[in-house]
Amino acid sequence: MKSLADEIFAEFREHSVSEFFRRNAAMLGYTGKIRSLTTIVHEAVTNAIDAAEEAGILPKVNVIIKRVNDEPEHFKVIIEDNASGIPEQYIPDVFGKMLAGTKLHRAMQQRGQQGIGISGCVMFGQITSGKPTTVITSTGNGEVIRADVMIDVDRNQGKILNKEKFKEKWRGTRVEIEAKEVAYMRSRYGPFNYLRMTAIANPHVKITFVEPDGTLTVFENAVNKVPERPRPMPLHPWGIMSDDLLVLAKRTKARTVSGLLSTELSRVSKQKAEEVCRLAGVSPEKKPSELTWEEAEKIVSAFKQVKLLAPPTSGLRPIGAADLENGMRQILNPDFVYTVTRPPKVYRGGLPFIVEVGIAYGGNAGKAPEGKGDNETMEGEVGMDLIRFANRAPLIFDQGGCAITAAARSIDWRRYGVDITNAPLTLFVNISSAYVPYTSAGKQSIADEPEIINETRTAIMEAARELKKFLYRRLKAKERQERAGIFEKFLPVVARKAARLAGVEEPDIKPLLKKIAGVEHD
Amino acid sequence: MTREATSLEIKHRQRALKALAELGMKIVEDIKNGQPPKLKIPSRSTSNIIYDKKNRYFVLGPHYGVRSAGSMKQIKKIAQLLCTADFARELIESGKFATLREMYYTAEGWEVGPFHDQSESDAIIEDLEATFGLKRESLGLTPEEDGAAVYGQIVFREGDVTIDATKAGRGGYTIPPTIDDVEFVKCKAKRIIAVETMGMYHRLIQEEAWKKFDALIVGLKGQAARATRRFLKRANEELGLPVYLNCDGDPFGYHIGMVIISGSANLAYINHELAVPDAKYIGVTASDIVNYKLPTDKLRELDIARLKQLLKDPRYNTEFWQYEIKKMLEIGRKAEQQAFAKYGLAYVVNEYLPAKLKEVEGQQFLGKV
Repeated sequence: MKSLADEIFAEFREHSVSEFFRRNAAMLGYTGKIRSLTTIVHEAVTNAIDAAEEAGILPKVNVIIKRVNDEPEHFKVIIEDNASGIPEQYIPDVFGKMLAGTKLHRAMQQRGQQGIGISGCVMFGQITSGKPTTVITSTGNGEVIRADVMIDVDRNQGKILNKEKFKEKWRGTRVEIEAKEVAYMRSRYGPFNYLRMTAIANPHVKITFVEPDGTLTVFENAVNKVPERPRPMPLHPWGIMSDDLLVLAKRTKARTVSGLLSTELSRVSKQKAEEVCRLAGVSPEKKPSELTWEEAEKIVSAFKQVKLLAPPTSGLRPIGAADLENGMRQILNPDFVYTVTRPPKVYRGGLPFIVEVGIAYGGNAGKAPEGKGDNETMEGEVGMDLIRFANRAPLIFDQGGCAITAAARSIDWRRYGVDITNAPLTLFVNISSAYVPYTSAGKQSIADEPEIINETRTAIMEAARELKKFLYRRLKAKERQERAGIFEKFLPVVARKAARLAGVEEPDIKPLLKKIAGVEHD
Repeated sequence: MTREATSLEIKHRQRALKALAELGMKIVEDIKNGQPPKLKIPSRSTSNIIYDKKNRYFVLGPHYGVRSAGSMKQIKKIAQLLCTADFARELIESGKFATLREMYYTAEGWEVGPFHDQSESDAIIEDLEATFGLKRESLGLTPEEDGAAVYGQIVFREGDVTIDATKAGRGGYTIPPTIDDVEFVKCKAKRIIAVETMGMYHRLIQEEAWKKFDALIVGLKGQAARATRRFLKRANEELGLPVYLNCDGDPFGYHIGMVIISGSANLAYINHELAVPDAKYIGVTASDIVNYKLPTDKLRELDIARLKQLLKDPRYNTEFWQYEIKKMLEIGRKAEQQAFAKYGLAYVVNEYLPAKLKEVEGQQFLGKV
């Protein structure tokens, strides 16, 4: 006779990663009808740009969203890139296997990280519409592959349903995802704003967008240079913890602690390693595998007493202040822009990050005021528009819990002469890092690491100081103009009336006008 | 139709036009010299209103406000002032008058206008009056209301019209806002009796007080209008007629009399044209209330507060006023002029006024001792 436990455990099975995420779509950003649609666009566009950049190609991305059968919550999302295409054998894994990809195992900054994004889209489409995702790709060898992909949820594997090949001279990848239970809207959370933000942060990317009603918008690229490829980076001692050091000690091929420090960590020379060992009271000749927790702690604190070069930024790809300024000018057409790219810093695990901040004022900056037709993304809201990015990818949701939001809120904007509830101001913040500490797999919010908040705050204040100067200059210029206007209006009246009272000819006011109002007249 | 100007009118106009031209010339010169024109305008703030003990009325002190056309905040006011001045010039030259209200509406069409409300344009007119020491009436601007009425043996000439105040109907001659341009042709009267209420005015006409006392009877209609005060001032100065004031026996009656005698604080800049310092108050006084056993009302709280204010007012700083005010506070009662009707309608003319006039002139009237 079966025991109760047997009956219960008859139901026990190992859940695959895909099964887990099928049940937890919200974690991937598939909550709400608008957000789900934006998430699909986000994942596909992110992949497209990363792929083009890695191949050294100036990215061009076409996004088309179509209604299917005129049903209100049934759409087809088509994203097409001009990247290097996907070799045939990788198609099932790229689109059908979670946590597979080219990114997770390399400490390198790219937009996608976990390798679950695009396969999440495939799964979302599949469970809402029952339809596979169509992938059309070519590496430019004259052969185009068209495949319908589904995910075998139980096995966490991609399944190719139909596959055909045809001859065409074309290179790139086109993905067509059909989904239900999604809605299209030009709101802050919708695909339009997402693409607009992407265009600002990626001035080298050209994005063409066709909305369900057929409206075509082109976000032209403002820069013609592909950013340099990132490279993997070792950890830097500034942010390293004992635990990290012990993990490295187990993995290293070095035979001594001093060798461990100088080969596994960045910016540590042989001499520095020996100096640190001496300060920590640890023998530099000790075998790494024999390093104790206490010794690791001593080494970590000893690192704080020696001078080191800043972490290498070779793996980081900030936008760069100049390109960011171009991007903001191109998309927002503002009266004032100031951008700053801060020097690299590290947080927690010794991982470098770079904060970039841009402030745009006037023009189409800020949440769109009512009746402002050419910037109808925000439905009549006004005031400061905080746009957050991680590795240039827009963070649209979960704004409240984000370190960037916390930093922006901690600023006393009145000190800079800005009323953020009304000002036409766009505040741009981008955090670049090989490992951005997201708060969840949905990748919409950055964990409140103190170093990141402080650095962001510092960068915002630098930009805000420049804004303050601009606003002051503009106010002064306006005052001068108003002053001149007042004298130009009233002085002729004074002269004419006085002359009539005195019964004499009207005096020439030009010299006096020039003197009191600084106005030249011809 | 433009009526013929009297010689008085011509004199006033020339004086005003000269002042306006001087103002214009000074500004033109400043502009030619590349200097921002500046206007010195006597300050009309309370701190600059002082009581002139010698002349016995309020005058403006020595303080000036300077308005510069070089100031962004002040040039508009200067432009408005000059527009007003030029408007006044046009009025004077065409022999026309405009009310303050009309002047306010005229400004709607100016390139420096409009004014927010009439008090703004009124203030500019006061600036002009204070700057020139000229009355607004001389600038062709008049208040809304007519003066009160005068009855008695006097003949006026307004342009080509001659008016005998005993033949202008039962109400007498209505004093116009332009009283300054009216000529006194002939006057047989020897004194002026001005009364607060029109009820008393008509009583004195009916009882032929004008004939009995050789007097011009003036009805003030409460607080006297500028035109009425100008008439009293001119009759006093030009005709040498003493002015007697008869008002209600309460603090407000006292003050109606006092404003005629010593002027008001808010017209301090023009009191030299309005005050009649030699005018005499001939009741009703607190002593009259007691002596004539008049029907009375109890003083209200407002009356008591007002009386206490008057005690401290420099204009009331005489033995007579201090005594009467304290007395009224002491008896706690007040009485109206018309309370004399208690003794019959004619009593005020036949008994009260003769006694009062004897007090001030030492002369007997109507054979009374």
